[in-house]
Amino acid sequence: MTAAVGRPTAEPRSTSWLPVAWSLGKRSMVGILRVPAAVVPLVAMPMFFVIAFSGSFRSLSSLPSFPTDNIYNWFVPFAILQGAAFAGFGTGFSTVRDIEGGFYDRLLLSPGSRKPLFVGPIIAGIARCTFTLVVVLALGLALGAEPTDVVPGMLALWVAAVGVAVIATGWALGLVFRVPNQRSGPILQIGIFFAMFLSTGNTPLEDQVGWTRYIARINPLTPILAMARQGFLGHVEWDTTWPGLVAIVGSSAALWLFAVTGLKRLIP
Amino acid sequence: MTVVVADPHEARIGSREAFNQARGLARRSIRGTLRQPQVWLPGLLFPMFIAAVNTSTMGKAIHFAPGFEGVPSLLAFLLPASITQSVLFGGLTAGSDTALDIQTGFFDRLLASPVSRTSILVGRLAGASATGAIQAVVFIVVYGIFGVRVAAGVPGMLLLVVFAMVLAIVIGGFAAMLALRTGSAEAVQNVFPLTFISLFISSAFFPTEAMTGAYQWIAERNPITWMIDGMRHQVIDGLDWSEGLTSIAIAVVLAVLAVYGANRALRTRLRRAS
Repeated sequence: MTAAVGRPTAEPRSTSWLPVAWSLGKRSMVGILRVPAAVVPLVAMPMFFVIAFSGSFRSLSSLPSFPTDNIYNWFVPFAILQGAAFAGFGTGFSTVRDIEGGFYDRLLLSPGSRKPLFVGPIIAGIARCTFTLVVVLALGLALGAEPTDVVPGMLALWVAAVGVAVIATGWALGLVFRVPNQRSGPILQIGIFFAMFLSTGNTPLEDQVGWTRYIARINPLTPILAMARQGFLGHVEWDTTWPGLVAIVGSSAALWLFAVTGLKRLIP
Repeated sequence: MTVVVADPHEARIGSREAFNQARGLARRSIRGTLRQPQVWLPGLLFPMFIAAVNTSTMGKAIHFAPGFEGVPSLLAFLLPASITQSVLFGGLTAGSDTALDIQTGFFDRLLASPVSRTSILVGRLAGASATGAIQAVVFIVVYGIFGVRVAAGVPGMLLLVVFAMVLAIVIGGFAAMLALRTGSAEAVQNVFPLTFISLFISSAFFPTEAMTGAYQWIAERNPITWMIDGMRHQVIDGLDWSEGLTSIAIAVVLAVLAVYGANRALRTRLRRAS
């Protein structure tokens, strides 16, 4: 006997993971509007860094190897990359909220692909860091930053910011999958803080006098910063760009592996 | 003849007993802080890390930037700033703890017990002040290991310790005022960015001579600049009672304001509770 199976009344839903990833990214962005405190690290902190660093450390431009007389040209790209790192941090933190609220369990129980769990936060991170770039760049230009190579320079800055956001998102997800509660926040921040300040964020390598010089030399953020600053310190050149791209790809691969192995730990 | 007693509860408790209660509460405050390394350790390590990074990345600036005349190293220049930064962290912790006492109900139990109301506040601030002294000593010793010598010698170090103690009362007082008004530890912690901004827009990390425009104008009028500059004088140039005592006097004025504000907030909360 054969059982008669009627035709489905509707077409099966699309199994593509991209719309799900897009929805998760959008959800993360909407989360910012619902939690105004999340805007503080994203925009207020980088804006404060531009004002405070340029104000307090203005005389650093008198150092022998400092490549510009305009302190804003030095600190604006740095602050934008800090904002991009905090954008990644923010997506990690919204994932913590989802884990604690049980939403993540429902995502994990759904029969779909796991790819959206990674691509969604990347979309959110890129959107957040682009927003930060626009706001902080506008502030920097208003204060006196003067790009030296406008279109290629801004493109290099955006690529660097997106790269840092992707790296930071990988770091944040890898950590929150391992420490799935609010306590992961300080560790996340410390990691980003260390990476940022143990680089050429404050001064060029040649002007550093101590132990940070050795760390900054191998810190992947150093070539990324060099790539980001090109449009403010001269002309965009391939010789300065490719090390930054390599650093972005290498660091992203390492930290996204950290995230993927973290998710495997999270799933019982 | 009529005797006016401001607070009958206070009148029932002798001053000696109130002192003992304040001492007990101060001890509880210090012990509570020491038992939570996650609370006090960042307050020590974060300023040290910032000083270490700044010394390494910007150490050359003392030879090129204005305002660094006679400064032997950037680390020596940063010693008073690191102490101030650490005490800011610690003071806010005292405020958060007061708020936590309110949230957990310990504060209500204190009110229900025959404890002097004033000693609740005095005990908390005394604890913060003692923690401030410990923080100052730790910084002097650690920076000393890395070659920083306080030019004013032992009297200068004592001035630094006293300064840290009074500053802890300032921050602890303002934080306690906020805690008593809001009853929320989160509200107290939210003040942290403000303290960080006021520290940055001062001579804490770089001299005001190296700044320009509105930023310099604000930094020169920031009380943190006045206090830090006086203490820095002891570290860089040598003993100068006038500079040192001026710094401490500014801190004392702020401490009086903070304690007054905290005391008023306490009275308001007591009125609401009764």
